[in-house]
Amino acid sequence: MSKENVLFQVEEDDIETTAPEDEGAGSRKHLIFTVDDLKIGIDANQVVEIMNVYTATYLPMMPDYIQGIFNMRGQIIPIMDIRLRLGKPLAEEGILIVIDYNNNQLGIQVDSVDLMLDIPLESIVPIPSQSAQKLVSGMCTLPDGSGTMLVLDCEQLIAHGYGD
Amino acid sequence: MSNNDILDMYIYETNTLLEQLESIVLDAEKENTFSQDNVNEIFRIMHTIKGSSAMMEFDTLARVSHRIEDMFFLIREGTMSVVKDEDRPALFDVMLHSVDYFREEMEKVEAEQPLNEDVDSFLGNINSLIAKIKGEEIPAEPAPKEAAAPAPAQEAASAAPVPAQTTEGSAEFPYGLRVFFDEGCGMENLRAFMLVTSVQGFCADADFAYQPAGVESDASLSDTVIEHGFLLQFRSDADRARAVTIVMTAGSVHSYEEENFVPAPPPPVEPAPAQEAAPAAQKPPAAPAAQAAGGGAQQHQGQKESLISVGLSKLDQLSAIVGEIVITEAMVTGSPDLKGLHLDAFSKSARQLRKLTDELQDVSMSLRMIPVSNTFQKMNRIVRDMCKKLNKQVKLTLVGEDTEVDKTIVDSIGDPIMHMVRNSMDHGIEENVQDRIDAGKDPVGEILLSAQDTGSEVIIQISDDGAGVNDEAVLAKAIRNGIASPDVEYSHKEILNFLMAPGFSTNAQVTEFSGRGVGMDVVKSGVESLGGSVSITSEQGKGMTTIMRIPLTMAIMDGMEVSVGDSIFTIPINNIRSSIKTTEEAILHDSVNGEMVKMLDGYYPVIRARDFYNLPGGAEKIDDGVLMWLESGDCSYCLFVDELLGEQQIVVKPLPAYVNNFDIKNYGITGCSILGDGNISIILDAGDLYKATRG
Repeated sequence: MSKENVLFQVEEDDIETTAPEDEGAGSRKHLIFTVDDLKIGIDANQVVEIMNVYTATYLPMMPDYIQGIFNMRGQIIPIMDIRLRLGKPLAEEGILIVIDYNNNQLGIQVDSVDLMLDIPLESIVPIPSQSAQKLVSGMCTLPDGSGTMLVLDCEQLIAHGYGD
Repeated sequence: MSNNDILDMYIYETNTLLEQLESIVLDAEKENTFSQDNVNEIFRIMHTIKGSSAMMEFDTLARVSHRIEDMFFLIREGTMSVVKDEDRPALFDVMLHSVDYFREEMEKVEAEQPLNEDVDSFLGNINSLIAKIKGEEIPAEPAPKEAAAPAPAQEAASAAPVPAQTTEGSAEFPYGLRVFFDEGCGMENLRAFMLVTSVQGFCADADFAYQPAGVESDASLSDTVIEHGFLLQFRSDADRARAVTIVMTAGSVHSYEEENFVPAPPPPVEPAPAQEAAPAAQKPPAAPAAQAAGGGAQQHQGQKESLISVGLSKLDQLSAIVGEIVITEAMVTGSPDLKGLHLDAFSKSARQLRKLTDELQDVSMSLRMIPVSNTFQKMNRIVRDMCKKLNKQVKLTLVGEDTEVDKTIVDSIGDPIMHMVRNSMDHGIEENVQDRIDAGKDPVGEILLSAQDTGSEVIIQISDDGAGVNDEAVLAKAIRNGIASPDVEYSHKEILNFLMAPGFSTNAQVTEFSGRGVGMDVVKSGVESLGGSVSITSEQGKGMTTIMRIPLTMAIMDGMEVSVGDSIFTIPINNIRSSIKTTEEAILHDSVNGEMVKMLDGYYPVIRARDFYNLPGGAEKIDDGVLMWLESGDCSYCLFVDELLGEQQIVVKPLPAYVNNFDIKNYGITGCSILGDGNISIILDAGDLYKATRG
């Protein structure tokens, strides 16, 4: 069973177990993935697709964290290596998460995708102001007690291209 | 339908009506009269705009359109003869102004900006024109009234029509009925309006009027109704008699009195006595007119049914999918799995599929094609306005208006064409009519605007029969601006090209219409951004011709695929002069580490794609690759690549927005295309690539 299937299994379980109490706007589904031992979450509404196999076409004159572009059913989507974007060492291979933020699509290459979880919005706290961590809009302790998750700031991630 | 859809619909509909209105007015101006059909049409347009504006709660728009509707009501009743010859230019001006006014307001509505509330002076213009049409001697009377009370603009505006209508209404509707309501019954304005609705039950809108107007929405009119009563006016006595019975049965009516209109001492242009004397003669023309209007509306409705408007984004989506299907079809039928197999039935079906996909592609392309006539028609207006301003006599001839071009092209050629027409008006056509007569030309200048579809490109030609380009003056100016060197002999063609150099404008003074320091160079770059080219020809004394050539669609192009390492690039076929295999020895080096190669009679720089784009792989030795001799505009150079993969028709896809933020366009990367095997090739722009290497 591939990782993808595990993932959707989890998602379905979640819907069954937690859907009744989650009718309010109090919680959001987050997809949690791992990058260099960091757990990072992203709003599941922004996730379009998770892909294991893809071929990147190298695009010249781009920053090194842009691996290139790839063809997803006729759509051209840039691929970002989130490790390089966060200043981490390069990994051998990974999984691609395609996100859509305000009609901007971007593929993010991560180490592995863990699970889908409902995160109560009030449990997400801002990151300490002295932290220089960019691209993160908040953090929270995972409900199952397995650790801490950083919430990826898609807006910054995509908008960053405009600045530099 | 959401609110936004309604608003979009409103803007779309109003803009369409305005276009229609403008062309009617421009045509009518040439004839110096409105035909009865035109009047009906304008009346209908204004009525629609009034109604929909009121519905969307754009009060100022509704008010202005209402007044124009009133004005055309008068003209419709009395035919164009009620407008005296000397007033007609003013009428056309007011109508064109109103088109401008509505357009401006539509732009504001679209941009969600507040509308211009101060329409009083404009309304004043209309009112005074209405007064003139009625032949009343109240020159400039409405204007000071409004100027005196600018603060309560709303009141001033609603008050202004009142006096005008009192006199006017009486002239046209001689049989009055003044109704007074019970004291303190309340909501007098609404009670009055209820009377109006019951009267409408038996009497056509055109056959009666009421005072004060606007009772249905303006509660402040209650006071007027209490004080002066509510005045209903009818065209015929019989209608009034029926109204009396209604008024008698209506609730809260205190009293009513019948009033008959006595013609005012200065007889109006539309002779009231004649009208009274021959009501029967007056009626018949009105009836067919109304019928004609109805017929026109029906016809219009019929047209609407056979057309639907679709968002451009949907069409884009459609053509993107069709593009995919074409590629997928090639992928399926050319699949490596089929190699060596003899599949007769499959090949037959595959051929059928190819035929259908080709057809599908043609149809989806044609969906985006619209005629250039709208853009061309707009030039009529510009020529007309400039003729008046510059006091020149010029006629505009349009040829090939129904040529169909991709929507995006139509949108972007508007400005270049407008610029060229203005240029011809301003600089081309002689200042002095005598100069034209002396040169043996028709005193009326001519600007010819033509469009022609050659199958692969559309050719737009703008020519005038004016003075033409004065080579010496242009050269002198070019030298003064530092574009040309005084020591060099320039050919006629080179001198004309100076016109399109940045920062060149032959007019000594900056005028309202052209010559703002930006000039032909903007036209040139605008057309070039569409993948087209501009050329100028001119003969002194005979005029000037500008020809724009624009490729028909930008979505599909012929390209040469080349490989560099693992990357595949596509170079547009029309940029390629030739490709050469050569050896390391043929490469010459200059002092700054640049490389050059000798081709035919000249030396051209060599750019290595691998080094320029820092590509991970690719041939290093010139012997192992191919030199592509590329040309774009005035740059000519050789691009060194590994291999030519072949010529192909490709569907151009824009790069993702995220990627475009990194300014890779400036490095010659303009888009990409999906190849038959699902891989992506990157489309290069030969001109931008060269510019990038020059820093």
